[in-house]
Amino acid sequence: MTSPSTLAKPKPAASPLARLRSIPHLGLLAVLIAIVIFASVRTDAFLNPNNLINVARQVSVVAVIAAGLTLLMVAGGMDFSMGGNVAVTTAVAAQMLSHGWSTAVTLAVSIALSIAVGLVNGAVVTFTRVAPFVATLATATLLDGVALLVIDGMSISIDDHLSTLGNGKTLGLPNLTFVAALVLAVTAFVMRYTTFGRDAFAIGGNEDVARLSGINVVRDKLLLYGLAGALSGLAGIMLLSRLAASSPGTGGLQLQLTAVAAVVIGGTSLAGGKGTIGGTILGVLLLGVVANVLNLLQISSYYQQISVGAVLLVAAVANLMQSRGKH
Amino acid sequence: MRPPVLRVLGVSKSFGGAAALRNVSVEFRPGEVHALMGMNGAGKSTLVQIISGALNPDEGLLEVDGHTQNHLTPRRARRVGISCVPQRRELVMTLTVAENIMLGDLPASGSMVRWNRVRATAQRALTDLGIAIDADAVAGDLTVAEQTMVEVAREVRRGGRVLILDEPTACLGPEAAAQIRELVLRLRDNGVAIVFISHHISEVLHLADRITVLRDGQVTWAGLAKETDEKGLVRDMVGRDVVSRRPVRPAGSPDVGISIRRLCDGRFLDRFDVDVRRGEIVAVLGPAGDAQSRLFDLLSGRRRPDSGTVSIGGRAVRPGRIAHSLASGLRCVTGDRRRLGLIPGLTIDENVLLAQDRLEGRRLHRWGRLAERAAPLRDDYRVVSLVRNPPVEQLSGGNQQKVLLAKWLGTAPSAVLLEDPTNGVDVAAMAEIHSLVDGLTGQGVAVLLASSSAEEVMRLADRVVVVRDGRRIAEYQVDRITRDELLAATLGGAL
Repeated sequence: MTSPSTLAKPKPAASPLARLRSIPHLGLLAVLIAIVIFASVRTDAFLNPNNLINVARQVSVVAVIAAGLTLLMVAGGMDFSMGGNVAVTTAVAAQMLSHGWSTAVTLAVSIALSIAVGLVNGAVVTFTRVAPFVATLATATLLDGVALLVIDGMSISIDDHLSTLGNGKTLGLPNLTFVAALVLAVTAFVMRYTTFGRDAFAIGGNEDVARLSGINVVRDKLLLYGLAGALSGLAGIMLLSRLAASSPGTGGLQLQLTAVAAVVIGGTSLAGGKGTIGGTILGVLLLGVVANVLNLLQISSYYQQISVGAVLLVAAVANLMQSRGKH
Repeated sequence: MRPPVLRVLGVSKSFGGAAALRNVSVEFRPGEVHALMGMNGAGKSTLVQIISGALNPDEGLLEVDGHTQNHLTPRRARRVGISCVPQRRELVMTLTVAENIMLGDLPASGSMVRWNRVRATAQRALTDLGIAIDADAVAGDLTVAEQTMVEVAREVRRGGRVLILDEPTACLGPEAAAQIRELVLRLRDNGVAIVFISHHISEVLHLADRITVLRDGQVTWAGLAKETDEKGLVRDMVGRDVVSRRPVRPAGSPDVGISIRRLCDGRFLDRFDVDVRRGEIVAVLGPAGDAQSRLFDLLSGRRRPDSGTVSIGGRAVRPGRIAHSLASGLRCVTGDRRRLGLIPGLTIDENVLLAQDRLEGRRLHRWGRLAERAAPLRDDYRVVSLVRNPPVEQLSGGNQQKVLLAKWLGTAPSAVLLEDPTNGVDVAAMAEIHSLVDGLTGQGVAVLLASSSAEEVMRLADRVVVVRDGRRIAEYQVDRITRDELLAATLGGAL
């Protein structure tokens, strides 16, 4: 029984350590800062503005995918096919542009296509109750194949179509980064302030309770997978604009795994119900910076993979230890 | 009198400055049922965690067989014979009873499990305690009471001499609870020291030899059960007298609020009829897991009945549709708040407004306004929390139940289904919840109460329909029947 006297008691003054602990994603932030300091000491190239802009451009594509994935995973969903969706979008858009379709039509068709893919995922997961992990892994494989089919295993160049998006800058920052920032900001707003976003937390927290509370779970899930598809499409266009070509291996499972890793490092629960865009941003930055630093230090690609895995592990443990410490 | 097997001496424990236990001393003797009583948050669970080794005390010490035990861990506690059967079942539901009993200790030759030995040893552990359960049954197929018994058998076989039973009869119907009580008495006669935790005062008075009452982390009363009575116990637990008595209610209006006609659902409901007038409380009473526990699924729209109709305020509700059930003005409050009631990771405020916001079609949430809008509901339903707005998973059972009631009853319902509304809740919270339900009738709400507790039915309902094996077997006006007559009627069909 909580007596009124315990309520009135002032909270014990927070120790500096406790205050430090209350900073969200502290462990992740510390790892990121440590890597940045390490990199700037080891190589001058890291803090070079051109390099930083390059990093910003690279992480922008992952950030857009990760934003959609965060919202979906908060609702207890999962989409492994976003990378495959990116591959198909880049392939279709590249073929259309190289065959002389206008940019506007190309964008409309490829985004519509990616939304359709997302809705198919959503429909399978919602109506057949196949585990999202399994269903979307299947579509991921399928889409990777379709992408190869569309470009016939070759590299399709788009010349300087989309170059304003891919290489243009505004106020010294890449346009791609502005697009990513906008997507992240809107997703963060949706997650925190709209009923749709709060529904996602409720569905991920306990789907039965959400349904009984009058939330249209079927509609929300379809929308969430559709949104994940749409953002994959956008990421596909962004990637195409940056690379100016679609080749075998553009997008696909590797990109997908980076996005999943970023979201999970950012503290979003695989079981649903918990997650923040702030954490996802840190996760995306961390992976982007690590990849960049390893490249600059000219470390062999074998060690690169090993290091990325190690960083993932350290960040995940750091995250968990902080959330335990709060209890 | 035999010497105590476990002594707790001057134990104190605090969490982040708030004292959970202050200088508590208790002795547990073999062959004695020792009840721990107190309200939610009085310190019972902290004390249990300390004697089972999950927590270490800040001050004071524990003695087992006269030897001081410093830094007890759950593993060491079990080795010296202290074991705990927690409130939520901890069996591996997909394995057999025998495997569950032998878990972690499977008899094997080399790396091969000797299944005959597993089965035989487990079956003996069960029969020794007079438990008639097949060791080959799958744990998940058993009733909750049987699962509890299997856990008890497991702990006793592992050498448990001090057995902590945390609310073993919560969520059980009268018959199943009686089976558990018989088992407790057999264990006591075998010389086990039993630590029995229960909110049911009459049960404790009948069963316990010795009682220790905690309030705000301190022992407020300790002694033999025969030295106290119901009123005294309540006063020691709450610190004041709690009276929860039926108020005199004006006759309900003639309008029918809820009308259920010929409802059928598998073997659970067979052509079930009931009418509830506005301002009236009608109870459906039956053993746990019988017809009344299907009403929530069917009325909330979670499940489609085989046949039959439900009408709210004279209008038929489309079966099997949650949206239609909500639109009719019916609110269904589950008895299973963990699974179907609340979202554990979300805050109190969000849980309280979860349904209301959706029903109103709200699109944007301003966090400052959220607290403001939730405040009156939190006050009306007396939800108390240490920090302002924690996730509901951190609240005590009583407070969670009040959040659940606030969530649904705050949406201006015209009809309500309440399923075991005071499940796992202490006396004070129970009295508060009862008066909240009384208040509903004053607003002209038709209340259907699905219950497995005769006490609760006697306290709340105007009429009671007794069900057994899915059929209605009797109906009474509550003011023309005694509790014992009602209990006899519930059990009658079994003979």
